[in-house]
Amino acid sequence: MGLTMRISSAKRAAAALSAMALVGSLSACGGDDGKSSDSSKPLEVWSRSAPDPAKTYEAILAAFTQKTGIKVDYQGVIEFDTQLQARASSKDLPDVWINDAGLLGSYQSQGYVTKVEKGDIAGSDQITDETWAQNQGLDGATYGVPFSRQSFATVVRSDWRKKLGLPVPKTWDELAALANAFATKDPDGNGKADTYGMVVPGSSKRGYIGWWASSYIWQAGGDIVEKSGDTKYKSVINSPQTKTALEWVRKQFCTPGNVVPGSLNLTTSDTPFFGEGTAGIYLTGPYTFSGYDKAPGKDKYEVIPMPKGPVGTTTLAEGENIYFGAGSDKTAEQKALAEFLISPDAQKIGMAPDGAAQPVVRLPVNKTLDAGAVRNDPRWKLVQDEYTANSKAFVWSINFQPIRQALGEGINKMMSSCSSDLDAGLKSLDQAINAELKSQDLAE
Amino acid sequence: MTSPINTLWERAGQAVKPRPAGHAVKPRSGAAAARRPPAVLRGSSWLPWMFLAPALLFAAVFKFIPMVEGIRMSLYKVQPFLGNEWVGLQNYATVLTDQRFLDALGHTLVLGVGQTVGALVVGFGLALLLEGQARSLWVLRTAVFLPVVTAVAVIGEVWRILYFPTDAGFVNQILATFGLGPFSFLSSPDSALGSVMAVGIWSGAPYDMVIILAGLAGIDRTLYEAAAVDGVNRRQRLRHIVLPGLRPALTVVLTLAAIRGLRIFTEVYVLTGGGPAGSTEVWMTRVYSLGFERNDLGVASAASMLLLFVTALLTIAVRLITRRREA
Amino acid sequence: MSNPTKSKPARLNIPSTRFDTALGWSPRFGASTVLRIALCAVVLFIFAAPFLTIISGAFNETTDSTQLSLYPSDPTLLGFRIASEKGIWSYFLNSLVIVGGGLLLQVALSVLAAYALSRQRFRGQLVVLLLFLLTMMLPEEVIAIPLSQVIADLPILGISLKGSVLGVILPVAIWGFSILVMSEFMKEIPREIEEAARIDGVGEIRMLWTIVLPLCKPVLGVITIFGFMMIWNQYLLPLIAANDPSDYTLTVALAFLRTDADVGPGVLLAGALIALLPSLIVYLLMQKSMIRGITSGAMKG
Repeated sequence: MGLTMRISSAKRAAAALSAMALVGSLSACGGDDGKSSDSSKPLEVWSRSAPDPAKTYEAILAAFTQKTGIKVDYQGVIEFDTQLQARASSKDLPDVWINDAGLLGSYQSQGYVTKVEKGDIAGSDQITDETWAQNQGLDGATYGVPFSRQSFATVVRSDWRKKLGLPVPKTWDELAALANAFATKDPDGNGKADTYGMVVPGSSKRGYIGWWASSYIWQAGGDIVEKSGDTKYKSVINSPQTKTALEWVRKQFCTPGNVVPGSLNLTTSDTPFFGEGTAGIYLTGPYTFSGYDKAPGKDKYEVIPMPKGPVGTTTLAEGENIYFGAGSDKTAEQKALAEFLISPDAQKIGMAPDGAAQPVVRLPVNKTLDAGAVRNDPRWKLVQDEYTANSKAFVWSINFQPIRQALGEGINKMMSSCSSDLDAGLKSLDQAINAELKSQDLAE
Repeated sequence: MTSPINTLWERAGQAVKPRPAGHAVKPRSGAAAARRPPAVLRGSSWLPWMFLAPALLFAAVFKFIPMVEGIRMSLYKVQPFLGNEWVGLQNYATVLTDQRFLDALGHTLVLGVGQTVGALVVGFGLALLLEGQARSLWVLRTAVFLPVVTAVAVIGEVWRILYFPTDAGFVNQILATFGLGPFSFLSSPDSALGSVMAVGIWSGAPYDMVIILAGLAGIDRTLYEAAAVDGVNRRQRLRHIVLPGLRPALTVVLTLAAIRGLRIFTEVYVLTGGGPAGSTEVWMTRVYSLGFERNDLGVASAASMLLLFVTALLTIAVRLITRRREA
Repeated sequence: MSNPTKSKPARLNIPSTRFDTALGWSPRFGASTVLRIALCAVVLFIFAAPFLTIISGAFNETTDSTQLSLYPSDPTLLGFRIASEKGIWSYFLNSLVIVGGGLLLQVALSVLAAYALSRQRFRGQLVVLLLFLLTMMLPEEVIAIPLSQVIADLPILGISLKGSVLGVILPVAIWGFSILVMSEFMKEIPREIEEAARIDGVGEIRMLWTIVLPLCKPVLGVITIFGFMMIWNQYLLPLIAANDPSDYTLTVALAFLRTDADVGPGVLLAGALIALLPSLIVYLLMQKSMIRGITSGAMKG
């Protein structure tokens, strides 16, 4: 072919492609003109739910529509973060969504949520001040309405414990001894060494081991980050107290059987051991009770008060908030929905006490309700009491997930060898957390 | 007089030798030329583009437009709602100066090369072993294909059980019969990468086997007969007939290895998530930790662009190497 | 391997000989056959034995995630029943529809493009091939959000594909893998066949349809099975394109079933078993095309 033909056919191809790219980017840029104030459009509500819990939300929202006449367009979304980001890119955030309370800082820094005027919300006095205080952003304003709370509890195979004649463990040492007994003394009586002590989500994936170990760090008197000024934070992880906690955790990993082997690679979705009957102790959230009631069975396990560490019995607290999407023009409806969701009626529907539906409210934020009474279950009262008396959450006003990730990676590394240098590990973890704080402009 | 066998050999030389695309053919003359379709329809420059147009159109809309956006995102601090901030090459700097990322590069290379070579060699062996028409072979080939059709999450679960680090673990039990002590496999930073690689080879070999079987099916059987008559033994037959005949299959496998080798992610994520102690961290797991899990799409895009660039270079290299040998 | 004349599939009437396979396995029973059987047993064990765990877990009342179980001790269909209650079959149907449409479109696009790349002469072939390969080099999570914007608002046409099966079918139709594989194998077809046809005045489309494609049966089988699996296993794309949970595919449904606290590992294994069967069936069917058959005659043409 001649030179001219060669050039023209290549040019043609390039021209076609760039034309398409140009048109594509133009139309993608132009896109939506954002929210049109159309009051006949229903209130758009999202929650991070699989189809089954989504049905509970539908029931709550149906009751809301019946009471107030406000129509709701609800979706239970699974890949929540990706979908929310997609909506944010087209400047079309949902009006209201319900998601993890720990994301408050992330949402606030990205501008996704609007401030909540606590005083404007009817019924806000039915939520304790401490609970409201958890929802403050960096500037001190409130950015989410509390919806549900929970704290972690220790579940133990009571039938195993009784068979081995051991008491309910009240201290770390007793807990470790119980774990060891479960591993070595054949508590299920089948003659095989196929049972283990503690279930631990030990992976560094998404910082899971940090999430699990945090309760124990606090029980030893250590902490992760601390406020060091008005809006600044610093890492305080490198302390003798944290070292004590991590030494104890490492001892469990290194005593054969105290922890299910291979746990360093597992997240909570890979650890069905308690339900299956291969391990007998698990520090987990109360949402697992309904599953464990079926397997291993309600009469086979118990929820015990948190065993005491060197300093206390602090347990990790988490929760869900109601967030108001930025850029929404339905501010009155947002408020109305929040007021309904924190009311005793809605909270009761959300707790699904009859067990027919999947609960979306664990511990009610409405202080007139008692979880144990509503559910007629003393185990829930235990969880509620421990939450009120001695629970601690991660810092929600900042984007804590990267810090949790760094924490998980650091602890996972320290647990991967029985002779690891904890001092060096804590030092580098301290540096990693401070580096992360710096990158979020939170360092001094 | 040339024997019929020799004619077959000559034809073999022509049939097996692949023709490079774009090789010009001299136009015929005379009566044959008169019967050719008119010049407008024959081999003219726009016809190939008509065949390519549908694929190019779909590629442009569903791949290139998002990719261009991805490149754009890598140069910004991506804040979907507040509006992106231009940061130039800062995202790239963040990626390249992250120590764990640089460690991940090494692991990615080791895994990539190890899995590619392992899967190719084992896949080739499987193809040679299981080639044939018998029904029992049909069943065997289907059974061997199971690792490929199963969801990665399930493969992860199964192998975590197989790799159970105590002496009660299945693989440890088998190794014990050979007198080899219980291994920690995925639980120890020293053995985790090798264990992940073994799973990768296990699930990749049947994949390569299928491609190689397709290649083996295309080899002219008369060549085997002719070779046998000429007294060629098995090894020579493999070298001089089978391997050249497998050129397209091997080219495909190597090109795919270049494209996918550096992108290894799902298996590693499911088996270990990058641990323990970051010993199985690979490029994409780092992209997840640095980018997606921090909602930092700019950094994730930058890391992915770097990956794309290196992969493209690698692919071009593979194409050039496999092309030059065709001469 | 016993006497081949008794064991060969009924449809292929070609007697099995020593020259059927690259290694030259002898059809007669002998020392090499014993070796082959032994090797096959080892291979079967290595590649298929782990699946006994999946099967036994799916059919068992209880599961044990710390030990390998090779057979169900309490056989039950409970896992499958719970999976059905969770609506697994409607997601299965969604997946079937999407794969059906997507695979057809994908094969059509790939065959056309591969034909141009391998049999026709034009400048810029390496560049075009690289462009197609480029589409495979970016992780899908990075382009997920821009892609979702494209799906919600197609360029030029301006329509939204969200909530429609087309939202998944159209993006999966372009796959560099199929184009690569098809073009590599199409290059192998000897020029004489093509030239002989051209003398008879055969145009390009007829050339492709009646001459080139029939010679590519093994490759068509390869891209069918791998294309099937690629579309069947899609996760992010159906999530992005869905408007409603009822639009989800089986792969997505199984992923969120994992997060369901009430669902045990047995149900997940049952779901995984249901999910892998269609791919296995397609593979079984495609194997026929990959076995050396009557097509050998055409080569001598």
